[in-house]
Parts: sequence; C-alpha cells; structure tokens
Amino acid sequence: MSVRLKLLGVASIVSLAVLAVLALAVAPEDARQGDAYRLLYLHVPAAWLAYLAFFVTAVASALWLWPRTRSTTWDLLAGASAEVGVVFTGLTLVMGSLWGRPIWGTWWEWDARVTTTAVLFFLYLGYLALRRTGATAAERGKRCAIAAIIAFVDVPIVHFSVTWWETLHQDATVFNPDLDVQFEGFWMPFTLVWSVFAFTLLYAFLVSARLQLAELDEGREERELEIAIADRIRSDEVVPV
Amino acid sequence: MDDNWGYVAAGYLIMAVTVGGYGAWLWVRTRRARRSLPDIDG
Repeated sequence: MSVRLKLLGVASIVSLAVLAVLALAVAPEDARQGDAYRLLYLHVPAAWLAYLAFFVTAVASALWLWPRTRSTTWDLLAGASAEVGVVFTGLTLVMGSLWGRPIWGTWWEWDARVTTTAVLFFLYLGYLALRRTGATAAERGKRCAIAAIIAFVDVPIVHFSVTWWETLHQDATVFNPDLDVQFEGFWMPFTLVWSVFAFTLLYAFLVSARLQLAELDEGREERELEIAIADRIRSDEVVPV
Repeated sequence: MDDNWGYVAAGYLIMAVTVGGYGAWLWVRTRRARRSLPDIDG
C-alpha cells in the first residue's frame, strides 16, 4: 500500500470517527423525529456517494470508449467505482429502511425514490456480473462501458423522482422549507456537510484501493500469459525436428 | 432518550461492519495478489 493511500485511509477513519461523535453526541435531537433523524447522517452521504461512484463509472467508461483516450486504467477505474457504488447503494437502501420503520411505520414502501434506487442497485449489480463474463478484454470493455453509460440514466431519475412523482419519500434534504427534518442551529447542518466530506474521503480511499487490486490482478494475468508463451517457446526449442 | 435509538444503533453498526468488512477484504486480497505475482524469470 502506497504512502498516499495509507494517508487517505487514516484521513477517512479519522473523519468518520469525528462524524460518529458529531452525529451521535453533538448534533441535537430533532423536534419532530427525535433521535431517528440521526440516520440522515449516514443515509444522505451514502446516497451522494452512490451518485458520485456511478458518475465516475460513466465518465471512465466514456473515456475508455473514446479511441483517443482508451486505456485499460479507465476500464479498471469504471469497475472499481461501480463496485464501491453498489456497496453504498445497498447501504442507502438499508439505512433508509431503518429510518423508515420508526418514521413511516414500515420497513419498505414501493415509493418512487425507493423503487428507482432499488432498480439502480440491481442495474449496477448486473454491470458487475457483466464484467466477469468471459470474452476478450476489448469485447468485455466495450460491452461494460456501454452498459455503464445506459445504467447511469437511472441516476437523474432517482434524484428527480421525488419531484416528478408525489409519493412517500421526502423532497430534497437541504434547502427545503417543507422538510420534515428542520435544521436548527449550527451543529445539524454542519454535521450533514461533514458527513458528505467524510464519505467522499472514504470513496477516494476505497476506489484507490480497489483500483490497485484490479491493476495487480491485471498484471498477474499478463505475466502468466508471458510465462506461458516463454514456456511454449522453450519447449518448441527442445523438440527434435 | 426516545425509543428510536435501537434503529440508530443498528444503522451505525451495519454501516461500520459493512465498510470495515469491505476494507478488510480489499486489504487481504491485495496482500494475496502481491504475494502471488508470478516471477517471469523462474
């Protein structure tokens, strides 16, 4: 692990520890939702991170498709970011479910935001499965890049679902006067901003670590191929003609 | 303190275990991948 990656890891852990203190001890109780609203400090940044991860996947995929910028690194970055995105989309759904039980009175609701987020989760799960299908690297890269760009269409649908369809999920969390959670004082909004900052650091760390692993796997496959070719050449040399 | 602390605690615990588990899985796999790099010379 490089020094930069280690520093990023330490910064992520420290900022998440600060977030835990802010969210659980410093931020005051909400007047309407009580302590249940504290799940907002995980649910909102996890959803932000999912958007960010799939945006990076779509951009990296487009850069891989563009012949002038085509590089294996873009394909590996797209895969690394999508994997982290799937983890955090799943966590967004779980955090939302835990928050929904005391506030909505149900673990799950086929609400527009919840349903489109679940679709997003399965779309990128399918994308990760597609990355494991057998084909040449170029064929697989092309197929996955196109799939990633098509799947990204669901991200704005998820985001605007609360304004396009009036269902149970609340509207945008920040800068909304009709919001069920009313931000009061300094610590509530500060903790939310800090949570987004801490999760963004975490994203940078996890994607860098995942990319490093993908590059190691890629390097191993190339070296194994080189060894196989070298062995074949050696065996051809000793065969009597 | 209200009755919702159970949901809050479960959320923070699930988040910590999932992120920690994923990070640990990456760390173990990276170590394994480094060790298993084949040597082209021999």
